[in-house]
Amino acid sequence: MKEQRHQSLDFSLIEPYLARKAETAKNEGGLIAILQKAQEAYGYLSTELMEYIAERTSIKPAKILGVATFYSQFKFNPVGRHLIMLCQGTACHVNGSSEIEDAVSSYLGISEGETTEDGLFTLNSVACLGCCSLSPVMMIDGDAYGNLTPRTARKILDTIRTSEGEVEE
Amino acid sequence: MDTITVNGKQIDFLSGETVLAAVQRAGVFIPTLCHDERVTPYASCGVCVVELEGSPRLVRACSTMVAAGQSILTDSPRALATRKAALALLLSDHRGDCRPPCVEACPGKTDCQGYVGLLANGEYMEALTLIKERLPLPASIGRVCPRPCETACRRKLVEEPISIAQLKYHIADHDLRSGAYLPEVATDSGKKVAIIGGGPGGLTAAFFLRKQGHQVDVLDMMPEMGGMLRYGIPEYRLPKKVLAEEIALIAKMGVHMRNNVRLGTDMTLDGLAQTYDAVVIAIGAWKSIGMRIPGENLQGVDGGIDFLRRVHFEKVDLTGKRVAIVGGGNTAMDACRTAVRLNAAHVYTVYRRTKAEMPADAIEIEEAEEEGVIFKYLANPLEILGENGIVKRISLQKMRLGEPDASGRRSPVPIEGDIEIMDVDLVIMAIGQQNDNTGLDGLSLTKRGTIAADETSFRTSIEKIFAIGDATNRGADIAITAIGEARMAAGVIGSFLEGEMLPYRAPVLVKREDLTESDFADREKAARVKMRHRSAKERRSGFSEVNLGYSAEEAKREASRCLECGCLDYFECKLLDYVNRYGVKPVYPGEARKYAVSDEHPYITRNMEKCVLCGLCVRICEEVVGVAALGLVNRGFSTVVAPEMRRPLKETSCISCGMCVSLCPTGALLEKTAQKPVPVREELTKTACNLCEARCGIIMATRGDLHLRNLPVEGGLLCEKGRFAFLNGETSDKQEAPPEWIVRASSGKGSSRT
Amino acid sequence: MRIVIGKGSCGVAAGAGKIEGIFKAEGFETGITGCIGMCYLEPIVEVYDSDVSGNEAKKTYVNVNEKAAREIINSLLGKKNQAGKYGLPEEDAAILAGQKRIALRNCGIINPEKIEEYTARGGYAGLKRSLALAPEAVIEEVKTSGLAGRGGAGFPTWFKWNAAKNSSGEEKYTICNADEGDPGAFMDRAIIEGDPHSVIEGMLIGAYAMGSSHGVVYVRAEYPLAIVRLNIALEQARDAGYLGKNIAGSGFDFDIRVKAGAGAFVCGEETALIASLEGERGMPRLKPPFPAQKGFWQKPSNINNVETYASVPWIFSHSGREFADIAKNSGITGAQATGTKVFALTGKIRKGGLVEVPIGMTVRKVIFDIGGGIKNGKAFKAVQLGGPSGGCVPAELADTVIDYQSLAKTGAIMGSGGMVVMDEDTCMVDVARFFLDFTCKESCGKCTHCRIGTKRMLEILNRIVGGYGEEEDIEILEQLANQVKEGSLCGLGQTAPNPVLTTLRYFKHEYRDHIVNRKCTAKQCKNFICYEIDAKKCKGCGLCKKDCPTAAISGEMKEPHTIKTADCIACRRCKDSCKFNAVKVGDRKWIQ
Repeated sequence: MKEQRHQSLDFSLIEPYLARKAETAKNEGGLIAILQKAQEAYGYLSTELMEYIAERTSIKPAKILGVATFYSQFKFNPVGRHLIMLCQGTACHVNGSSEIEDAVSSYLGISEGETTEDGLFTLNSVACLGCCSLSPVMMIDGDAYGNLTPRTARKILDTIRTSEGEVEE
Repeated sequence: MDTITVNGKQIDFLSGETVLAAVQRAGVFIPTLCHDERVTPYASCGVCVVELEGSPRLVRACSTMVAAGQSILTDSPRALATRKAALALLLSDHRGDCRPPCVEACPGKTDCQGYVGLLANGEYMEALTLIKERLPLPASIGRVCPRPCETACRRKLVEEPISIAQLKYHIADHDLRSGAYLPEVATDSGKKVAIIGGGPGGLTAAFFLRKQGHQVDVLDMMPEMGGMLRYGIPEYRLPKKVLAEEIALIAKMGVHMRNNVRLGTDMTLDGLAQTYDAVVIAIGAWKSIGMRIPGENLQGVDGGIDFLRRVHFEKVDLTGKRVAIVGGGNTAMDACRTAVRLNAAHVYTVYRRTKAEMPADAIEIEEAEEEGVIFKYLANPLEILGENGIVKRISLQKMRLGEPDASGRRSPVPIEGDIEIMDVDLVIMAIGQQNDNTGLDGLSLTKRGTIAADETSFRTSIEKIFAIGDATNRGADIAITAIGEARMAAGVIGSFLEGEMLPYRAPVLVKREDLTESDFADREKAARVKMRHRSAKERRSGFSEVNLGYSAEEAKREASRCLECGCLDYFECKLLDYVNRYGVKPVYPGEARKYAVSDEHPYITRNMEKCVLCGLCVRICEEVVGVAALGLVNRGFSTVVAPEMRRPLKETSCISCGMCVSLCPTGALLEKTAQKPVPVREELTKTACNLCEARCGIIMATRGDLHLRNLPVEGGLLCEKGRFAFLNGETSDKQEAPPEWIVRASSGKGSSRT
Repeated sequence: MRIVIGKGSCGVAAGAGKIEGIFKAEGFETGITGCIGMCYLEPIVEVYDSDVSGNEAKKTYVNVNEKAAREIINSLLGKKNQAGKYGLPEEDAAILAGQKRIALRNCGIINPEKIEEYTARGGYAGLKRSLALAPEAVIEEVKTSGLAGRGGAGFPTWFKWNAAKNSSGEEKYTICNADEGDPGAFMDRAIIEGDPHSVIEGMLIGAYAMGSSHGVVYVRAEYPLAIVRLNIALEQARDAGYLGKNIAGSGFDFDIRVKAGAGAFVCGEETALIASLEGERGMPRLKPPFPAQKGFWQKPSNINNVETYASVPWIFSHSGREFADIAKNSGITGAQATGTKVFALTGKIRKGGLVEVPIGMTVRKVIFDIGGGIKNGKAFKAVQLGGPSGGCVPAELADTVIDYQSLAKTGAIMGSGGMVVMDEDTCMVDVARFFLDFTCKESCGKCTHCRIGTKRMLEILNRIVGGYGEEEDIEILEQLANQVKEGSLCGLGQTAPNPVLTTLRYFKHEYRDHIVNRKCTAKQCKNFICYEIDAKKCKGCGLCKKDCPTAAISGEMKEPHTIKTADCIACRRCKDSCKFNAVKVGDRKWIQ
């Protein structure tokens, strides 16, 4: 998947799904599922990818962009190697998630929705991860880290960054 | 037949129609921004909310089906509050200038952008009539006005402001030479109005009141009409002939003018109030203010306007004299430059601050310098010294600049012991004017001694008596201020004469105040077209007019520099109409969305900063035209209408029918025009398109000889040809088949043809 | 012997996967279960052991980390161990006692991926009973139960079913709203993850009553595990003949599809949900027509949320009357609604998790008797109910009874069940700002009042918490809040101002403190606080000085350090790094 991320003009990854669903998508409300599949395959939705989907489904391009930009799940830029999802749920908020966000974004030098220059981390806020009893929480690549303090949050990122450095060397 | 009740009145309805349709058919107004009969209801704008009896919530008239027995209140306090909140919120997220800064800066609200734009398009007559909607003396005022419009002009962020005032009198001069426009005068109202004072304010009030059909008598104490324009402005700036011609036009409208009648001696307020249905006091401020320094009463000390008036009546010769003018305003400039022309040996202008703080126009200072006036800055008269009661010397306290005062100007501070004594023969105090209150007995005055007049109705403390201009409230100001008040007062007095006095209310407008040079960095520089004028040498020797006027070509070139700041949709914008109709105030200020204007499309300009997200463009394009070249992108506050895949519109599936523009309630989507764009009230003519067999109805929008737009008829459709082909001169009768979408949409939704 | 590991999302987040791996590596077979509700004790491992006579005894271990897992394994192997240290404390065991678990009846007990465990506990019995009744009788039974929409609005379920039933049309849709949007509620996820069949069965009963043969579950995309378990359960139900043609020989056909949402809170609104199901932007549509007449693809449709559907089978395996009498049978009087409600108890609460209580219990009982009161001995200030659409109930109204009407009187709502507890350290203006930030981002952008109004409200709140508030802001905020409620088309906009209006109602003094006294009483708002070092406690270790990003801290090693307030950006790093608890929060001084 990582290797394919930047080859937005090669549509083969989504082809098998489109072969089954493209024709009926318009009349069966299948657009969102197709966009989800496409994002799963390519990491994000490029203009070319959305236009290809428009062509295959006969759904108007303006409609596709409209739908894609309505839902927060869809990304329009490549995502970093590690996806940080910072929980912004109510429980996390009252337990200090804004301080965690400050710590994480100052550590990485990026704001919500951005990717670090080295392509290592993408920082996203999510409405609620549903681990409210562990608040404040963040999830990195599917693993949840709970009861965070700014210090532990930085430490976790440090560990990941160090391990990445080792792999590359 | 089943009925519904609207605001207590029973009306019939058709089954299957919406509350909005039923109520509008009954002639009751409900505003809406997001509804149009050509598309399905969407109910986003929240402006059409009405109260429906029995419903716990307000309902949207555009999307509520009418049902027998419903009782609807269109303007209940609750509905109004919510409607106004929607409008205030939309206003807060609307960026742009409803009106250009030049118009906003003009106390008379003359439509500078309008007449400059019309002039650029060669429409002299239209430009002139537009000016005269606000200002009856453009040839005169264009010459003497200190031009707040030009100070505000954004072109200065590129290089220099537009020469608005000079263009104005260029248009007016052209008119005086070629027929002289007279406005239509309404039929006789049977009401009589007396105007005391024949200056710019009084004459303007006369003009507008006469237009309304009232009998108007202007009563003036001086031998001729014109007031300060005649007696306070030197000939070299405003030739008396020009003024006389403009005054003659007002007289030609049927205004009676009587001179040499003075309030208090020849007539009284009481008497006038008994004879007339309304009285307007426009007497100006004709007394010079003194400095209260020793020696002020010596022979050879004069007031600025007194000196100028004396020059008007007497043959004054200053040959060999040393003249000191005190003051830094335009009257001081008029006095010193007049003194030069009267052959004075030395003319000094004494001002207590520096050139930078001088209130006089820069051009006046510059030309005075050229003519040899010596400016003595940072000096303030202490005493005028005389011999045998005649002025001989003046002693000046030298000053330096200290901290800024309340007006923001740095205030002068005396330098202890630094005093200069100058030999002079004549001292002219041009530091301000005040009222002569003779004959105003019984009127309430302000603390400053001016007439107290209500700022929105111009009423005085006496019934029937109104007052405007320099004699009122804040005192002396520039002519165009008095003119603006005169026009507003004429409106108020008109309503008063009709039985219900309505005060003047300034409209709520959206303004941009965050523009800097960098916003115009991409503009090509085009220097101001300088008006030809007489050389300093030539000027010194006489009172011939300094400026020599523009040629038609020069004027067009200068007018074409206008940046078109004011919204081109000003006269059609529904948002602005509703905001002012409901007296909405901008009560929810906040961040507004920012987008760049896109004008890549051959026919359509898009400015999403003016978009109210009514979705009409998106819906007509998708539902009726069947194209979907535009769509909604993002959500929440960042929702925006964008062409498909955010490409330039011309690179999308757009078929250039312009339906989106036709339905847009604001200036977010606009047609491009063949001419220099200018916001003007259009004349609409219904006709039919002959470019294909469909023969769709067209509304042709014109102004003068300008063919501005072709629009679909109400509820109708037009394709690219009907809408835009005229821009390329395509007119011939064609026997082609109409576009497929027009056929489809017309058959589905009833006929769009005439 | 059976080893069961809690693998709801909460358990997984707490590390259940790792623990499972340890047991597996040691050769133990493990089973899984969903969330038992005691999220604060996760990971939880349960060991079921049969004695000689075949009775199963259960030992529950909590907060099981790697070390604990080793100890449990030692105990299982009969080695010397300290596993007892990790046993479920008695106090925590008592949490379940105060509850009445109906929607959560199987959560944390059965393996959600095994239909036989569901049927073993009476699953699908309710379906069978209902299939024997006429559709009208099914609706009548639901009417008797008094079941109302648990998604928050509390609309009577029977009424919706009846409307859909009476709508003409062959094709009708039974839709389950699992787009749980309240950022403090997670019961729907827990139910689908822990007991997916209960939702399927509830939908089946509803579909039968309404004459619908198509079902759709709209699940939040953020719930991948729930989608997986739901799909497993659907497959198993089809295999068992509970879905498909001629279900249980009744001649009734029904099947369910899963559609994943894509991240939009507004899709919890039923017409927006339908738009989303149709592949459109999730923008609410005009009502009428109501979904019962023209819903999904313009066909009659019924939408209930997960908890509502999950409660239905119980009503049919027991009775509508029994459901209606739950409060009475629990010794509660005066409730103006029936059944139970699940709450996600979070925030400054000692024992946070999912609890299900009879409707009619007081707020106080839930927080103190079940939730164990406030964390760290702090004072209870308020509880927020209903998330972004709800409001807060202040401590002095803690005896408010939990039912739709009583809560509405306080300005809060029942909501979907988020119950966020706030203590003396919670700034109520900041809480209001938090929710407005959420709704502003989640507004679909259609209605003027909601799109721009929430933005303007948020700007005012940002001003107030940022220290730039002005006295008239309170009035503008209140007036604007009422207009946003009045002018918005859908539930999101109509309720978005609630968090502001209730905090204004009960905590106006906190707004005033920010604006007039330039002070945040709870010491939360950054622009109002500064950090100070207690010289008596500071050992001069220099850690804080090292961590300070603005070099605001000075001091010699082994000497008490000081913070220069002017340079302090209130990032809290010093407080976090101090090992001696010497950093205190103080009020920032203001120059007016």
